Amino acid sequence: MTDTPSTSIRPPASGAPRAAYAAAPDLPDILPPARVRRGFAGFAFRHPSMAIGLVILAAMMFIAVFAPLLGTVDPTALAPIKRMRSPGAEFWFGSDAYGRDIYSRVLYGARISLIVGFAVALIASFTGLVIGLVSGYVRVLDGFIMRIMDGMMSIPPILLAVALMALTRASVENVIMAIALAEVPRVSRLVRGVVLTLREQPYVEAAIAAGTSTPMVIMRHILPNTIAPLTVQATYICGSAMIIESILSFIGAGTPPIIPSWGNIMADGRTLWQVKPFIILFPAIFLSLTVLAINLLGDGLRDALDPRMAKRI
Amino acid sequence: MFGYILRRILSTIPVMVFVALFVFSLLYIAPGDPAAVIAGDQASPEDVEKIRKSLGLDRPFLVRFTEWSGQILSGDLGTSMFTGLPVTELIGQRIEPTVSLMIVTLILAVLIAVPIGVIAAWKAGTWIDRLIMGFAVFGFSVPVFVVGYLLAYIFALELDWLPVQGYTPIAKGLWPWFENLILPSIALGLVYIALIARITRATMLEVLSQDYIRTARAKGLGQRPILFLHALKNAAVPIVTVIGIGVALLIGGAVVTESVFAIPGLGRLTIDAIVRRDYPLIQGIVLVFSFVYVLVNLVVDVIYTMLDPRIRY
Repeated sequence: MTDTPSTSIRPPASGAPRAAYAAAPDLPDILPPARVRRGFAGFAFRHPSMAIGLVILAAMMFIAVFAPLLGTVDPTALAPIKRMRSPGAEFWFGSDAYGRDIYSRVLYGARISLIVGFAVALIASFTGLVIGLVSGYVRVLDGFIMRIMDGMMSIPPILLAVALMALTRASVENVIMAIALAEVPRVSRLVRGVVLTLREQPYVEAAIAAGTSTPMVIMRHILPNTIAPLTVQATYICGSAMIIESILSFIGAGTPPIIPSWGNIMADGRTLWQVKPFIILFPAIFLSLTVLAINLLGDGLRDALDPRMAKRI
Repeated sequence: MFGYILRRILSTIPVMVFVALFVFSLLYIAPGDPAAVIAGDQASPEDVEKIRKSLGLDRPFLVRFTEWSGQILSGDLGTSMFTGLPVTELIGQRIEPTVSLMIVTLILAVLIAVPIGVIAAWKAGTWIDRLIMGFAVFGFSVPVFVVGYLLAYIFALELDWLPVQGYTPIAKGLWPWFENLILPSIALGLVYIALIARITRATMLEVLSQDYIRTARAKGLGQRPILFLHALKNAAVPIVTVIGIGVALLIGGAVVTESVFAIPGLGRLTIDAIVRRDYPLIQGIVLVFSFVYVLVNLVVDVIYTMLDPRIRY
């Protein structure tokens, strides 16, 4: 966009009368006012990747909620005679080694993956927030808490989740707890870092000098400023939790095999992948699309909420 | 310099102690009685009690932890409950494929990720940048085993260029060894490449806006020496940090990749140990992996001081 006075005379974009500019040829071209698009169309125009993410995620949530109405059958119904059918009119995505309809299993699987993703994001962010606030504000405990977090962080997350799952019974709740626990140290570190910088801010100092009580300082001045980075982090955790769930189920340490989660469907197709690759293909596409949508959303949120962080990563 | 390295090494001790305590207590509180599992269904309560005594499972927590720590420090990780072999021996048998896979992946990933990250930063905002960053988001969104099956299906089954599965020890020749590792390391490396490429691009963008880059350009230096000599050198610290942190992804991913490509490494051992609830083996594997991870990050910290002489702790 050039604002320099141009000597060439171009007709304005909107049909203004010729005489209007012929009279003053030395004036710069006046651009018509930018058309501000409102609503979702405008949002999609400004943040295309975020809009794509939102649309895909909304579609997945729709599928999860209305799975019974989308031409599905009982996802656990066995039909040994019709096993390992290729995708066709009867089985849109084919059938697995037990004759279960993969289309129905994939659609119902959206429920498990979304629940696991959102629950882990919520639990890990909340727990991490509390630990991070305490660690950043109560200096006596900081060293101790951070050594524990360092220790937990030095166990690779998937391995930690796998070890936790080895202790407990396979259930969706336990999978959620195991993945959340593995994610907590990273969130605590993030929140602690933000709290430590905020503590030194003049307005916090002013609040303390004015006699604001500690809980009030935390609630009114510290907490609101941790929300933006925490939201971004929670989005990424949501995506990675879905991937970890599928990995846990895939290696047989996740949700119970009877539950149609995307990881379980792929685990069922593991031994047959060379002859019936579609058993893995369809849940893989759904899982990857969902995680992709969440990551696009996370990138968009990060750029919108924290321009400084956007430059760094 | 040596003082710093020594202090850095000492600082890993509390972390390792915590990891040991964590791993030990995890399996201490584990539900399910290993003594009963070993005794089998036909055993009488007296037999179970006898086995429990012989395994030392009836003594208090701290006694067992101290004893166990002492054993570990002397290089004894205990005896596998299932096979009756020493854990160190089992891990020793399986370590070569895993180490091979991780080293090949690491080298391959860095060789791919750093250049494409640099190119993305150089061509920031163009379609090349978008393509590379799109690929990075994709890499974050697809589970490692899906990439594995996809690669194996295309390059091994359909095109028949590379072996489908398996592992050849390096002693049997360099090419057969490498040939088997190409597909697994690309599959395992995808997330890692995405991570490193993103950080490389972000840091390079920041460095490229510095005054000394403008000076280098002003004195007539070509694009390539500016990018790879001046800029990359100054962007090295965050990149090396992320390479170190990302090793956690490699460890977690290796467990899954080995199962996809039927590589007889530590990952497969982990899955077997979990299925059989072989506690000493699980403890040993988690400890070894965590130790490797802590060690890698220790090396990374030492490399900092070489990359950037300004860093002094």
